[in-house]
Amino acid sequence: MHPDLLIHTKMKKAQIQIGETIAVLFVFFILIIIGFMFYVKIIKSNIELETEELSQLRSVGISQKIMFLPEVQCSEDNIIIDNCIDILKLDSAQSIMKKNEIYYYDLLEFSDVSISQIYPNEAKWNLYSRKIEDFNSKFVTNVPISLYDPATRKHGFGVLTIETLFK
Amino acid sequence: MMNKKGFEIQFNWIFVLVAGTAIILFFTVVVIKQKNVSETSTKATILKSMEAVITGASVSTDTTNIIDIPNSDIEVDCGRVSIGGVSKQYQSLVLFAPSLIKGNKLITQTLAFSTPYRATNLLYITSPQMRYIIIGDSKLAKEINKSMPSELKKEFYQSMPEIKNMNNYKIRFVLFENLIDFPKALEKMPDSDVTAIKINGDSEKGIIEFWQKESNSWLSKGTSFYIGKQSLIGAIYADTLDVYECNMRNVFSRLNLVTKIYAERTKKLTQGATSGRQFQCNQFYSNALSQLNSIFAASSNFNKGNIDVIADSAKSLSSENKNAQIYSCTLIY
Repeated sequence: MHPDLLIHTKMKKAQIQIGETIAVLFVFFILIIIGFMFYVKIIKSNIELETEELSQLRSVGISQKIMFLPEVQCSEDNIIIDNCIDILKLDSAQSIMKKNEIYYYDLLEFSDVSISQIYPNEAKWNLYSRKIEDFNSKFVTNVPISLYDPATRKHGFGVLTIETLFK
Repeated sequence: MMNKKGFEIQFNWIFVLVAGTAIILFFTVVVIKQKNVSETSTKATILKSMEAVITGASVSTDTTNIIDIPNSDIEVDCGRVSIGGVSKQYQSLVLFAPSLIKGNKLITQTLAFSTPYRATNLLYITSPQMRYIIIGDSKLAKEINKSMPSELKKEFYQSMPEIKNMNNYKIRFVLFENLIDFPKALEKMPDSDVTAIKINGDSEKGIIEFWQKESNSWLSKGTSFYIGKQSLIGAIYADTLDVYECNMRNVFSRLNLVTKIYAERTKKLTQGATSGRQFQCNQFYSNALSQLNSIFAASSNFNKGNIDVIADSAKSLSSENKNAQIYSCTLIY
């Protein structure tokens, strides 16, 4: 074979080999990227699930905090009565919580808290309201409660509605 | 020919080297990123459990819990809890804790702050690795020792013992009598890790002096006040005067809001008690209202004068509530 032709053939072979290696590397990186994308997708869905769970937990936490607020809770000689709201406290708590909305934001975050009396009369109190427009999740918790009127010493029945919003 | 072949082999090696470096670099970046994400995620998990503790504290009183957490250093400041770079800010948090909580366990305690009605819950957090040395022979010293959880690394002495260094990261002395001489065994510890409070008062109210180690003696860090055993316990857990006073200011602002509600409620009870059997109750409600108004005015600021006013009014209010109970009136709180 002519020496020039031999050099040309060997050069071509080397070029093909380099091309092959580049192709292998390209495929390797493509596979890694696909694997990585798959991993990110799984992680993302896990994070979304965790966020949802966390929002639910926070919502339950806010509901619990409201139920135990000394501002509205019933007590007899400083002994707390569970699931009971004092109507006389409610009237003043409503205006005080509205006036100190920023203070209560620390406890109740972005939420809307209202109490509806069902029996003996129908009445409604809006305790706290701080909402956001661009929320991602919203949870509504309804808690049946006893509404105590210390003036008449009678218990009524109502529902505490807590609407929590999360970004 | 040989030169060309040699060049081809060398080029192959260079190519392998570049490709290998690129692959190693890629995986190193991925591993480092993943490590950072994992660390941040652990910190966020601890912070979440702290949030859960804080929520739990606001809904339960007189409870003690031991919580397992990943080994970490939690920094607590006025209205801020942080772990590494992750932190959570609170506007009106009542959390009495040392400035640094180390270890894989948290001891939490909650007590109600009542004057005499419950205004808020006080949350105390500390580490089992922190050492508390209570020295005193008074009734209050014994009560405080009993009130603090048994899970704590606490020691109670009636007089000054010989103190040994047990390699705790922080030591807090709680002194009910005179200030002790600085223990020689603790001289090598960092200054900020050995602190003391000297209590002068009873279970109702009193003065707290804050001290900190300075080489081989004590350095005064200032004086503050307490109202009730609960706030005194707060001064034991919080290792700096600033954190204690910040928490007490938050307690007072909550007391102010709650008192306003109780005052309005009592006013309504007074209006409703103008006829029949309930007329007798009116007097108790009027007396209670004036006490509530004085607590409301005094809770606007945390200082010695206001503490005295609140303590006196709380006593009177408690007796008015008892009177209301005796005469079968609706209770004030």
